Amino acid sequence: MSPKGRKDTPVPVMRRGFRSREMPVEKAKDVRNTVRRLWLYFGGQRWALASLAVLVVLGSLVGLTIPYLIGRAVDTIEALNGGLRPLSVVVFVLLIAYLVEALTSFGQNYVMAGVSQHVVLVLRRSVFAKLQTLPLSFFDQHTHGEIMSRIANDLDNVSSTVAQSAVHLMASLLTLGGSFIMMVMLSPALTVASLVTTPLVYAAGRAVTTQTRRLYRSQQAALGKLNGHVEEMVSGLLEVKAFNREKEAVESFAEINRALQDVGIRADIWSGFLMPIMNVISNLGFTAVAAVGGVLAVKGLITVGVIASFLSYSRQFVRPLNEVASIYNGLQSALASAERVFEIIDEEEEPGDEECAIELVNPSGEITFKDVSFAYIDRKTVLHDVSFHVPAGSSLAIVGATGSGKTTIINLLTRYYDVQQGQILVDGLDIRSYTKTSLRKNLGVVLQDTYLFAGTIADNIRYGRLDASIEEVVQAAKLARADGFIRRLPKGYDTELSESGSSLSHGQRQLLAIARAILADPSILILDEATSSVDTRTELGIQEALRALMKGRTSIIVAHRLSTIRDADQILLLDQGRVVEVGTHQELLAKQGAYYRLYTSQFSEVG
Amino acid sequence: MGFLRKYAPKYWKLFGAAIVFLVVESVCDLLQPTVMAQIIDIGVANRDLQVVLNLGALMLLITAIGAVCAVGRNILSSHVAHGVGADLRLDLFTKVQRLSLDGLSQFETASLITRLTNDVTQVQHFVYRLMRLFLRAPILGLGAAAMAIYLSPKMSTVLVVVLPAAALLVALNLRTAYPYFLRVQQAVDRVNQALREYLAGVRVVKAFNRAAYERNRFEEVNQDVSTAHVQAERVMAFFRPAIILSVNLGIAAVLWFGGLSARAGTMEIGKIIAFVNYLTQMLHAIMRIFFAFSIFIRARASAERITEVFEQEDPTPQVADGYKASLKGDISFYNVSFAYAGSTGEPILKDISFTCRPGETLGVIGSTGSGKSTLVNLIPRLYEPTAGRITIDGVDVTEWDPGHLRDQIGYVPQKSLLFTGTILDNIRWGRAGASLEEVRAAARVAQIDDFVMSLADGYDSLVGQGGVNLSGGQKQRLSIARALVKKPTVLILDDSTSALDAITEAELRSELFEFVEGVTCIIVSQRVTSIMNADKILVLDEGKIAGLGTHEELLRKCRVYQDIYYSQIGREEAV
Repeated sequence: MSPKGRKDTPVPVMRRGFRSREMPVEKAKDVRNTVRRLWLYFGGQRWALASLAVLVVLGSLVGLTIPYLIGRAVDTIEALNGGLRPLSVVVFVLLIAYLVEALTSFGQNYVMAGVSQHVVLVLRRSVFAKLQTLPLSFFDQHTHGEIMSRIANDLDNVSSTVAQSAVHLMASLLTLGGSFIMMVMLSPALTVASLVTTPLVYAAGRAVTTQTRRLYRSQQAALGKLNGHVEEMVSGLLEVKAFNREKEAVESFAEINRALQDVGIRADIWSGFLMPIMNVISNLGFTAVAAVGGVLAVKGLITVGVIASFLSYSRQFVRPLNEVASIYNGLQSALASAERVFEIIDEEEEPGDEECAIELVNPSGEITFKDVSFAYIDRKTVLHDVSFHVPAGSSLAIVGATGSGKTTIINLLTRYYDVQQGQILVDGLDIRSYTKTSLRKNLGVVLQDTYLFAGTIADNIRYGRLDASIEEVVQAAKLARADGFIRRLPKGYDTELSESGSSLSHGQRQLLAIARAILADPSILILDEATSSVDTRTELGIQEALRALMKGRTSIIVAHRLSTIRDADQILLLDQGRVVEVGTHQELLAKQGAYYRLYTSQFSEVG
Repeated sequence: MGFLRKYAPKYWKLFGAAIVFLVVESVCDLLQPTVMAQIIDIGVANRDLQVVLNLGALMLLITAIGAVCAVGRNILSSHVAHGVGADLRLDLFTKVQRLSLDGLSQFETASLITRLTNDVTQVQHFVYRLMRLFLRAPILGLGAAAMAIYLSPKMSTVLVVVLPAAALLVALNLRTAYPYFLRVQQAVDRVNQALREYLAGVRVVKAFNRAAYERNRFEEVNQDVSTAHVQAERVMAFFRPAIILSVNLGIAAVLWFGGLSARAGTMEIGKIIAFVNYLTQMLHAIMRIFFAFSIFIRARASAERITEVFEQEDPTPQVADGYKASLKGDISFYNVSFAYAGSTGEPILKDISFTCRPGETLGVIGSTGSGKSTLVNLIPRLYEPTAGRITIDGVDVTEWDPGHLRDQIGYVPQKSLLFTGTILDNIRWGRAGASLEEVRAAARVAQIDDFVMSLADGYDSLVGQGGVNLSGGQKQRLSIARALVKKPTVLILDDSTSALDAITEAELRSELFEFVEGVTCIIVSQRVTSIMNADKILVLDEGKIAGLGTHEELLRKCRVYQDIYYSQIGREEAV
């Protein structure tokens, strides 16, 4: 997903404040703050959370009694003379316990699904709303992939992990503590015997996970490298083929692939050690408990049932110990994800309107640039002291070499970026004194990169004015010379466009964008290279339409083709961010200056 | 997952060995509860410490053997899974590299990348889990059932009720949950699409003040994905406890009937405990199979997507001994027509015939969508014509060795793509062995040398992925330099100066004509001035040749060309 079609404003590769997602287990930088903020999102869910807590506690407690009940059952069976009644009571209670356990488990997951999805819904909504308020510089500085990854992957990570981990952590800790208490109550001596293996469990777990964590990290890095290579070689298949590089592409892929395979095998082998080792240790504990239990039973200190239930508890005690570690890691990475999402929410917003900003209503469209200078963040100055005046209803064509600052002028006029020095006036007032909404409403912009969304063609044109009737849509399309090709499509105006309109040619997409601007009926028209991909014959048609449209409107046109701009009332020649010449076509030709040279270089062949 | 069969011969030995380990491992697992039962029944019940210790030692031995086998099985299965994964990925990548552009266009780039990375990983994951879950769980489950029956055939009647009930629940769950998860996946796709659209169109959204509109549009998909998630999770929330409960009820039944038998003196307590343990093992096995199925479902979806790529036909059969010769640059089209595969509409090119002699310059002009790019793409055989014949130096293009042919054609595509690396690397992509001097010479012609030298690191400056840190014009010029450094015999410029201003373009053009003397040059452009000096100009209109001749000839008799010319130059100047 490379940013599309930017011409005048080369975008530096910058990852301000964004870290790569390559580490599998990352920690949030500020855990407390992240948890606190996340908690705010859970805030509206108090009742659900409370019932969730009750269910978790209930479930864990009932879970804890089950081994005890089994032990009791064993004991009542052993005490044959007790009759059937004690056994039936125990089994009955056990049945109820199982039922309650199942119900609480269902309840927990049921409530949790609602809670966590609600939080994600709200988070996603606020991130998207935030995106609407971010300045354009944010989108220029971060690749789409990065932003997408935060909203899709990170939010997903938050949704699937935070609530679940928290609940599991709570349940595990309860079980852990409860098991310990039950063990001590059943038999302190056996407790000591079973705890002998606990440090072993911990040590083994630690030894293995440090290895696996390191290896998974390098696996992730290798995967990242592979993904990068694949992305380039697939998007650039045309180049790969045209330059006969298939063999090299496959060879370097094979190399990266091999490295990934090696590290992957090692990581999986290491992580595979954990379970068998744990099994041996836990059976070691089992034998120890059975041996000590045997001794105690010989002495008549405990019953067989106690040993049976004790064994269950000691299992329950060891298992959550391992789980807690992995849940904790999961929680950490989820918090890191949440933090990355919050980073977007914390991004500085597009500066709002001035306090006493007024609405720009039906402007005459007079535009003045006064000594405007501008530099993109951390880059050299793009515009130096640019001044010009466009009287209401007249047209200005901006001409200049690549990188001379043409697009920047438009970025400033639309307030995508704000001037750093100087002033831009519309109808005699600084554009910062108008509300952004009203300013942009009066600017009809047709940009290089045409944005079409999934939807019908009519919907896409209607984007210019949402309440336009279908007749108005068709009228606009006719003016933009788009009606013809639209009608030739099998479904006409109801044709569904696929993502980014790829089913249409670039030129056709531009025609739709022009139709959209026509429909918006703005007072000021801005065309940024809008016709560069339309063939010249089609452009001729559009120009007729635009000429009619431009009548009575102020218009600023950025174009490379001189024929496009010759008719403009004024021509502004930019060179490296400075105004070199201003005047009409004839005046500038007569001057025999820079414009003259530009003009003759294009047409010298004509003779 | 038929494509996995291909890797069987290479890995079946390792796989077989892993299964042997697995069986031993499972047997060890199964023996544990029996030994445990004996510890309690013989050792503890009789208060015989020696038996407890002896049996304890035996159990530890069994566990240790089991552990060794588990480690061995894991080492083998890691090798198999990652081996298969890596082989599959390489095969898939090779396949993608060999796809024709027409075949490639059947897939979105992003989707191909996902297939190569995510989907292969899913399949690899599946292969890895195949042993641990798919084979071990049934062995354990069936083994536990067998041991339980062996322990007490009478009590095993409980199994007859419990196991089918659990199996039924698992089956029901899979059937009900699958469509829900499918819906989640679709909803997630829609959210991602909405996001992608927004990011691509952020300038327009701002220009038209459509923040609220976009928010509403997003909220719709946002709600959808949320609802789908909640529903799917709630279905799962029901089935999991239900399956566990069904087995647990079995445990209660065992205790009850076991108690009755013990009372009758036909059953020892240890056996009851062992029976309960076996039931628990069965429960675990069922839960694992349950889990395994969700992995299987995911892997199946991935496998289908991979298969789609493999099944994409490879229309450029690599000729074993294609024609190899040094190129002279004589290009002829004979009644060539072309339509994209799968497109139902009109062909893009209709009945195109022309000849271009060595050293000639051919200009191609025409309106958007008239087929200009397609036409030049046919020359280096990036696409295959649907009808007609193309010859280069009199040899049919399909008989040429494609690599050899492309090595001698310099091609500058319409959308120039640069690769991560230095500027030098990028220009050398044209010819790996080019010296810095040759690179600079090409860059000078392409009017980009001055710019590169103005950078702090000069030719060692890094280009971001896709050339994000360069402007469109800079990218175009670099990609021209990349084609020139090849010293090609045929040079194709596909509208590759569109982002350049007129002065730069004029300078480029004049130096280019010096540089490429003796080279057959095909220039596609929308600007008349770019091509009007060509030896021959081909005017395309809706896929057909509307005119072919010199500028003067066309200006006299070709309507389409006149229209284009006057629309750009203006009538008064021309007259």
